[in-house]
Amino acid sequence: MKPWLLHPRLTLLVRLALGLTFLLAALPKIADPPGLAKTIWAYQLVPAPVLNPMALVLPWLELLCGVALLAGTWVRAAALWVGALLLAFSLALAVNLAQQRPIDCGCFGAAGPRTEAERLADMRWVLLRDLGLLLLVAQVLAATAPRKN
Amino acid sequence: MRPPWHSTTLRILTLGGTALLAALIANRLAAPTRRLAWRTALPLSPAPAKPPGELERRAPTLPKVPQPAPEPHPQGARPAAAAPATKPAAPPVPEQTRTTSAPITEISSQEAWQAFQTGLPFLDARRSGEFAEGHLPGAWNTPVWEADLEDRLLDFKAQRRPAAGDAIVIYCSGGDCRDSQLLAERLLAQGYFHLLIYREGYPDWVARRHPVERGGR
Repeated sequence: MKPWLLHPRLTLLVRLALGLTFLLAALPKIADPPGLAKTIWAYQLVPAPVLNPMALVLPWLELLCGVALLAGTWVRAAALWVGALLLAFSLALAVNLAQQRPIDCGCFGAAGPRTEAERLADMRWVLLRDLGLLLLVAQVLAATAPRKN
Repeated sequence: MRPPWHSTTLRILTLGGTALLAALIANRLAAPTRRLAWRTALPLSPAPAKPPGELERRAPTLPKVPQPAPEPHPQGARPAAAAPATKPAAPPVPEQTRTTSAPITEISSQEAWQAFQTGLPFLDARRSGEFAEGHLPGAWNTPVWEADLEDRLLDFKAQRRPAAGDAIVIYCSGGDCRDSQLLAERLLAQGYFHLLIYREGYPDWVARRHPVERGGR
Protein backbone atom coordinates (compact mmCIF):
# COMPACT_ATOMS: atom_id res chain seq x y z
CA MET A 1 0.00 0.00 0.00
CA LYS A 2 1.16 3.51 -0.73
CA PRO A 3 2.72 5.11 2.34
CA TRP A 4 0.56 8.26 2.29
CA LEU A 5 -2.52 6.09 2.62
CA LEU A 6 -1.31 4.98 6.03
CA HIS A 7 -0.12 8.41 7.16
CA PRO A 8 -1.08 9.00 10.82
CA ARG A 9 -2.73 12.33 9.97
CA LEU A 10 -4.94 10.73 7.37
CA THR A 11 -5.81 7.99 9.83
CA LEU A 12 -6.70 10.60 12.44
CA LEU A 13 -8.95 12.42 9.96
CA VAL A 14 -10.64 9.22 8.82
CA ARG A 15 -11.11 8.08 12.40
CA LEU A 16 -12.75 11.37 13.39
CA ALA A 17 -15.02 11.36 10.34
CA LEU A 18 -16.16 7.80 10.97
CA GLY A 19 -16.59 8.38 14.69
CA LEU A 20 -18.63 11.54 14.20
CA THR A 21 -20.82 9.86 11.58
CA PHE A 22 -21.64 6.98 13.86
CA LEU A 23 -22.14 9.19 16.88
CA LEU A 24 -24.60 11.39 14.99
CA ALA A 25 -26.34 8.35 13.54
CA ALA A 26 -26.74 6.75 16.96
CA LEU A 27 -28.26 9.62 18.92
CA PRO A 28 -31.69 9.94 17.22
CA LYS A 29 -32.04 6.16 17.22
CA ILE A 30 -31.22 5.87 20.91
CA ALA A 31 -33.88 8.49 21.55
CA ASP A 32 -36.55 6.48 19.72
CA PRO A 33 -36.21 2.67 19.69
CA PRO A 34 -39.83 2.07 18.57
CA GLY A 35 -39.19 4.18 15.49
CA LEU A 36 -36.07 2.19 14.71
CA ALA A 37 -37.89 -1.12 15.19
CA LYS A 38 -40.50 0.03 12.70
CA THR A 39 -37.79 1.03 10.23
CA ILE A 40 -35.93 -2.27 10.57
CA TRP A 41 -39.20 -4.15 10.20
CA ALA A 42 -39.82 -2.42 6.89
CA TYR A 43 -36.63 -3.98 5.53
CA GLN A 44 -38.37 -7.36 5.93
CA LEU A 45 -35.09 -9.15 6.52
CA VAL A 46 -34.93 -9.51 10.27
CA PRO A 47 -36.86 -12.35 11.96
CA ALA A 48 -39.43 -11.24 14.52
CA PRO A 49 -37.66 -12.44 17.71
CA VAL A 50 -34.51 -10.50 16.78
CA LEU A 51 -36.23 -7.31 15.70
CA ASN A 52 -36.74 -5.48 18.99
CA PRO A 53 -33.44 -6.49 20.64
CA MET A 54 -31.70 -5.33 17.49
CA ALA A 55 -33.48 -1.99 17.53
CA LEU A 56 -32.48 -1.53 21.16
CA VAL A 57 -28.83 -2.60 21.04
CA LEU A 58 -27.76 -1.45 17.58
CA PRO A 59 -27.77 2.31 18.28
CA TRP A 60 -25.81 1.84 21.50
CA LEU A 61 -23.23 -0.17 19.64
CA GLU A 62 -22.99 2.61 17.09
CA LEU A 63 -22.60 5.17 19.85
CA LEU A 64 -19.87 3.21 21.66
CA CYS A 65 -17.96 2.58 18.45
CA GLY A 66 -18.33 6.22 17.44
CA VAL A 67 -17.01 7.40 20.79
CA ALA A 68 -14.13 4.92 20.68
CA LEU A 69 -13.13 6.08 17.22
CA LEU A 70 -13.31 9.73 18.26
CA ALA A 71 -11.38 9.11 21.47
CA GLY A 72 -8.77 6.96 19.75
CA THR A 73 -9.09 4.04 22.14
CA TRP A 74 -9.90 0.51 21.00
CA VAL A 75 -9.80 1.86 17.47
CA ARG A 76 -9.32 -1.48 15.78
CA ALA A 77 -12.12 -3.22 17.64
CA ALA A 78 -14.48 -0.30 16.99
CA ALA A 79 -13.50 -0.17 13.32
CA LEU A 80 -14.18 -3.88 12.96
CA TRP A 81 -17.66 -3.44 14.47
CA VAL A 82 -18.34 -0.42 12.29
CA GLY A 83 -17.19 -2.33 9.24
CA ALA A 84 -19.45 -5.26 10.06
CA LEU A 85 -22.40 -2.95 10.65
CA LEU A 86 -21.79 -1.07 7.42
CA LEU A 87 -21.56 -4.33 5.50
CA ALA A 88 -24.86 -5.48 7.01
CA PHE A 89 -26.55 -2.14 6.28
CA SER A 90 -25.32 -2.13 2.70
CA LEU A 91 -26.43 -5.67 2.14
CA ALA A 92 -29.89 -5.01 3.62
CA LEU A 93 -30.26 -1.91 1.49
CA ALA A 94 -29.01 -3.67 -1.63
CA VAL A 95 -31.47 -6.53 -1.20
CA ASN A 96 -34.39 -4.12 -0.91
CA LEU A 97 -33.12 -2.01 -3.78
CA ALA A 98 -32.81 -5.10 -5.97
CA GLN A 99 -36.45 -5.88 -5.23
CA GLN A 100 -37.41 -2.25 -5.92
CA ARG A 101 -38.99 -2.05 -2.50
CA PRO A 102 -38.89 1.58 -1.38
CA ILE A 103 -37.98 1.84 2.30
CA ASP A 104 -36.61 4.46 4.62
CA CYS A 105 -32.94 4.03 5.35
CA GLY A 106 -33.42 5.01 8.98
CA CYS A 107 -29.69 5.66 9.12
CA PHE A 108 -30.03 8.92 11.03
CA GLY A 109 -33.40 8.30 12.65
CA ALA A 110 -36.87 8.31 11.16
CA ALA A 111 -37.44 10.30 7.99
CA GLY A 112 -40.47 12.33 7.05
CA PRO A 113 -43.06 11.14 4.54
CA ARG A 114 -41.63 10.81 1.05
CA THR A 115 -42.69 9.40 -2.27
CA GLU A 116 -41.53 5.99 -3.41
CA ALA A 117 -39.34 7.43 -6.18
CA GLU A 118 -37.63 9.70 -3.66
CA ARG A 119 -37.02 6.76 -1.39
CA LEU A 120 -35.54 4.60 -4.13
CA ALA A 121 -33.25 7.43 -5.25
CA ASP A 122 -32.25 7.97 -1.65
CA MET A 123 -31.48 4.28 -1.19
CA ARG A 124 -28.98 4.40 -4.05
CA TRP A 125 -27.18 7.36 -2.51
CA VAL A 126 -27.13 5.74 0.89
CA LEU A 127 -25.68 2.59 -0.59
CA LEU A 128 -22.93 4.63 -2.22
CA ARG A 129 -22.31 6.46 1.03
CA ASP A 130 -22.07 3.20 2.96
CA LEU A 131 -19.56 1.86 0.48
CA GLY A 132 -17.54 5.06 0.89
CA LEU A 133 -17.64 4.67 4.65
CA LEU A 134 -16.45 1.09 4.21
CA LEU A 135 -13.39 2.43 2.40
CA LEU A 136 -12.70 4.64 5.41
CA VAL A 137 -13.01 1.61 7.68
CA ALA A 138 -10.54 -0.25 5.45
CA GLN A 139 -8.07 2.60 5.86
CA VAL A 140 -8.34 2.54 9.64
CA LEU A 141 -7.98 -1.23 9.71
CA ALA A 142 -4.93 -1.13 7.45
CA ALA A 143 -3.33 1.60 9.55
CA THR A 144 -3.95 -0.24 12.81
CA ALA A 145 -3.02 -3.69 11.54
CA PRO A 146 -0.83 -5.60 13.98
CA ARG A 147 2.76 -5.67 12.76
CA LYS A 148 4.17 -9.05 11.91
CA ASN A 149 7.55 -9.66 13.51
CA MET B 1 3.25 -12.89 24.78
CA ARG B 2 -0.43 -12.88 23.83
CA PRO B 3 -1.16 -12.51 20.16
CA PRO B 4 -2.62 -9.08 19.31
CA TRP B 5 -5.84 -10.50 17.89
CA HIS B 6 -6.67 -11.77 21.32
CA SER B 7 -7.14 -8.33 22.84
CA THR B 8 -9.01 -7.11 19.76
CA THR B 9 -11.48 -9.98 20.01
CA LEU B 10 -11.93 -9.26 23.67
CA ARG B 11 -12.55 -5.60 22.95
CA ILE B 12 -15.05 -6.41 20.24
CA LEU B 13 -16.97 -8.58 22.68
CA THR B 14 -16.73 -5.91 25.38
CA LEU B 15 -18.14 -3.28 23.03
CA GLY B 16 -21.05 -5.56 22.19
CA GLY B 17 -21.69 -6.44 25.81
CA THR B 18 -21.56 -2.83 26.93
CA ALA B 19 -24.01 -1.87 24.20
CA LEU B 20 -26.38 -4.59 25.39
CA LEU B 21 -26.11 -3.41 28.98
CA ALA B 22 -26.61 0.22 28.01
CA ALA B 23 -29.67 -0.72 25.96
CA LEU B 24 -31.14 -2.65 28.90
CA ILE B 25 -30.69 0.26 31.29
CA ALA B 26 -31.78 2.96 28.84
CA ASN B 27 -34.91 1.08 27.84
CA ARG B 28 -35.84 0.62 31.47
CA LEU B 29 -35.46 4.32 32.14
CA ALA B 30 -37.18 5.46 28.95
CA ALA B 31 -40.62 7.07 28.92
CA PRO B 32 -43.40 4.63 27.89
CA THR B 33 -43.77 6.20 24.45
CA ARG B 34 -40.06 5.69 23.79
CA ARG B 35 -39.84 2.23 25.26
CA LEU B 36 -39.73 -0.95 23.23
CA ALA B 37 -40.65 -4.37 24.51
CA TRP B 38 -37.69 -6.76 24.20
CA ARG B 39 -39.99 -9.44 22.94
CA THR B 40 -42.23 -8.32 20.15
CA ALA B 41 -45.90 -9.21 20.24
CA LEU B 42 -46.53 -7.98 16.72
CA PRO B 43 -47.48 -10.29 13.88
CA LEU B 44 -44.24 -9.71 12.09
CA SER B 45 -44.01 -12.49 9.59
CA PRO B 46 -43.45 -10.93 6.18
CA ALA B 47 -46.20 -13.09 4.69
CA PRO B 48 -49.23 -11.18 6.00
CA ALA B 49 -47.49 -7.86 5.78
CA LYS B 50 -46.49 -8.05 2.16
CA PRO B 51 -49.78 -8.49 0.29
CA PRO B 52 -51.39 -5.42 1.89
CA GLY B 53 -48.26 -3.46 1.07
CA GLU B 54 -48.56 -4.35 -2.57
CA LEU B 55 -52.25 -3.78 -2.45
CA GLU B 56 -51.78 -0.36 -0.99
CA ARG B 57 -49.34 0.57 -3.67
CA ARG B 58 -51.79 -0.21 -6.42
CA ALA B 59 -54.91 0.95 -4.71
CA PRO B 60 -54.62 4.76 -5.00
CA THR B 61 -55.41 4.58 -8.70
CA LEU B 62 -58.85 3.20 -7.91
CA PRO B 63 -59.81 4.65 -4.57
CA LYS B 64 -63.52 4.15 -4.17
CA VAL B 65 -64.76 2.32 -7.22
CA PRO B 66 -64.32 -1.32 -6.21
CA GLN B 67 -66.25 -1.01 -2.96
CA PRO B 68 -69.97 -0.98 -3.48
CA ALA B 69 -70.74 -3.61 -0.89
CA PRO B 70 -69.37 -2.28 2.40
CA GLU B 71 -71.39 0.94 2.13
CA PRO B 72 -74.18 -0.08 4.50
CA HIS B 73 -72.18 -1.31 7.43
CA PRO B 74 -71.05 1.94 9.04
CA GLN B 75 -74.64 3.00 9.56
CA GLY B 76 -75.81 -0.52 10.18
CA ALA B 77 -73.17 -1.12 12.77
CA ARG B 78 -75.08 0.26 15.72
CA PRO B 79 -78.69 0.89 14.80
CA ALA B 80 -79.93 -0.12 18.20
CA ALA B 81 -78.56 -1.23 21.50
CA ALA B 82 -79.71 -4.79 20.92
CA ALA B 83 -77.90 -5.12 17.61
CA PRO B 84 -74.46 -6.37 18.72
CA ALA B 85 -75.82 -9.74 19.69
CA THR B 86 -77.10 -10.46 16.21
CA LYS B 87 -74.22 -8.93 14.31
CA PRO B 88 -71.33 -11.40 14.50
CA ALA B 89 -72.55 -13.68 11.77
CA ALA B 90 -73.68 -11.01 9.36
CA PRO B 91 -70.94 -8.46 8.67
CA PRO B 92 -67.99 -10.48 7.37
CA VAL B 93 -69.95 -11.85 4.43
CA PRO B 94 -70.69 -8.80 2.25
CA GLU B 95 -67.33 -7.21 2.94
CA GLN B 96 -65.22 -9.68 1.05
CA THR B 97 -64.47 -7.29 -1.74
CA ARG B 98 -60.84 -6.36 -1.87
CA THR B 99 -58.78 -7.48 1.08
CA THR B 100 -57.45 -10.96 1.54
CA SER B 101 -59.24 -11.68 4.81
CA ALA B 102 -62.82 -10.80 5.59
CA PRO B 103 -62.53 -9.76 9.25
CA ILE B 104 -60.16 -6.99 8.26
CA THR B 105 -61.66 -4.72 5.63
CA GLU B 106 -60.46 -1.52 4.08
CA ILE B 107 -62.89 1.38 3.95
CA SER B 108 -62.88 4.55 1.89
CA SER B 109 -62.61 8.08 3.29
CA GLN B 110 -66.33 8.55 2.79
CA GLU B 111 -67.12 5.42 4.74
CA ALA B 112 -64.71 6.52 7.44
CA TRP B 113 -66.56 9.82 7.70
CA GLN B 114 -69.87 7.98 7.99
CA ALA B 115 -68.39 5.68 10.61
CA PHE B 116 -67.19 8.73 12.50
CA GLN B 117 -70.65 10.28 12.40
CA THR B 118 -72.27 7.10 13.64
CA GLY B 119 -69.89 7.09 16.57
CA LEU B 120 -67.82 4.01 15.84
CA PRO B 121 -64.60 3.80 17.87
CA PHE B 122 -61.48 4.92 16.04
CA LEU B 123 -58.05 3.58 16.96
CA ASP B 124 -55.00 5.62 15.98
CA ALA B 125 -52.11 3.23 15.27
CA ARG B 126 -49.51 5.98 14.73
CA ARG B 127 -46.83 7.02 17.19
CA SER B 128 -47.87 8.94 20.30
CA GLY B 129 -46.03 12.02 19.09
CA GLU B 130 -48.02 12.07 15.87
CA PHE B 131 -51.22 11.50 17.83
CA ALA B 132 -50.48 14.49 20.05
CA GLU B 133 -49.95 16.70 17.01
CA GLY B 134 -53.45 15.93 15.80
CA HIS B 135 -55.92 13.06 15.54
CA LEU B 136 -59.54 12.29 14.82
CA PRO B 137 -61.73 13.65 17.63
CA GLY B 138 -62.33 10.95 20.18
CA ALA B 139 -59.80 8.54 18.64
CA TRP B 140 -57.87 6.23 20.95
CA ASN B 141 -54.13 6.56 21.09
CA THR B 142 -52.96 3.00 20.39
CA PRO B 143 -49.42 3.29 18.95
CA VAL B 144 -48.68 -0.15 17.62
CA TRP B 145 -44.89 0.16 17.99
CA GLU B 146 -44.76 1.37 21.57
CA ALA B 147 -44.28 -0.80 24.64
CA ASP B 148 -47.49 0.18 26.42
CA LEU B 149 -49.81 -0.74 23.55
CA GLU B 150 -51.38 -3.58 25.49
CA ASP B 151 -52.22 -1.28 28.42
CA ARG B 152 -53.76 1.21 26.03
CA LEU B 153 -55.82 -1.49 24.37
CA LEU B 154 -56.99 -2.70 27.77
CA ASP B 155 -57.96 0.86 28.59
CA PHE B 156 -59.90 1.10 25.36
CA LYS B 157 -61.67 -2.19 26.01
CA ALA B 158 -62.46 -1.27 29.61
CA GLN B 159 -63.98 2.06 28.71
CA ARG B 160 -65.60 1.26 25.40
CA ARG B 161 -66.46 -2.40 26.02
CA PRO B 162 -66.60 -3.45 22.37
CA ALA B 163 -68.14 -6.84 21.65
CA ALA B 164 -66.12 -9.19 19.45
CA GLY B 165 -68.28 -8.36 16.45
CA ASP B 166 -68.48 -4.59 16.96
CA ALA B 167 -66.94 -2.53 14.21
CA ILE B 168 -63.67 -0.84 15.10
CA VAL B 169 -62.05 1.62 12.71
CA ILE B 170 -58.26 1.74 12.61
CA TYR B 171 -56.15 4.32 10.84
CA CYS B 172 -52.56 5.46 10.56
CA SER B 173 -50.79 7.95 8.32
CA GLY B 174 -52.00 6.70 4.94
CA GLY B 175 -49.69 6.02 2.01
CA ASP B 176 -47.73 2.83 2.55
CA CYS B 177 -48.22 2.95 6.32
CA ARG B 178 -48.88 -0.57 7.59
CA ASP B 179 -49.41 0.18 11.26
CA SER B 180 -53.21 -0.12 10.92
CA GLN B 181 -52.79 -3.56 9.43
CA LEU B 182 -50.51 -4.63 12.28
CA LEU B 183 -52.95 -3.36 14.89
CA ALA B 184 -55.87 -5.03 13.11
CA GLU B 185 -54.04 -8.35 13.03
CA ARG B 186 -53.34 -8.00 16.71
CA LEU B 187 -56.99 -7.27 17.52
CA LEU B 188 -58.04 -10.13 15.29
CA ALA B 189 -55.83 -12.43 17.36
CA GLN B 190 -57.64 -11.13 20.42
CA GLY B 191 -61.00 -12.15 18.98
CA TYR B 192 -62.30 -9.03 17.25
CA PHE B 193 -63.45 -9.71 13.74
CA HIS B 194 -65.07 -6.55 12.42
CA LEU B 195 -62.03 -4.38 11.85
CA LEU B 196 -62.23 -1.57 9.36
CA ILE B 197 -59.03 -0.01 8.11
CA TYR B 198 -59.29 3.58 6.99
CA ARG B 199 -56.38 3.16 4.63
CA GLU B 200 -55.92 6.74 3.52
CA GLY B 201 -55.73 7.69 7.15
CA TYR B 202 -55.02 10.91 8.93
CA PRO B 203 -53.54 12.97 6.05
CA ASP B 204 -56.69 12.29 4.03
CA TRP B 205 -58.85 13.24 7.00
CA VAL B 206 -57.04 16.56 7.29
CA ALA B 207 -57.17 17.16 3.53
CA ARG B 208 -60.94 16.75 3.64
CA ARG B 209 -61.12 19.37 6.36
CA HIS B 210 -62.82 17.07 8.81
CA PRO B 211 -62.51 18.09 12.47
CA VAL B 212 -59.33 17.19 14.32
CA GLU B 213 -58.31 17.22 17.93
CA ARG B 214 -54.90 17.96 19.44
CA GLY B 215 -53.12 16.78 22.54
CA GLY B 216 -52.33 13.35 23.94
CA ARG B 217 -54.20 10.95 26.06
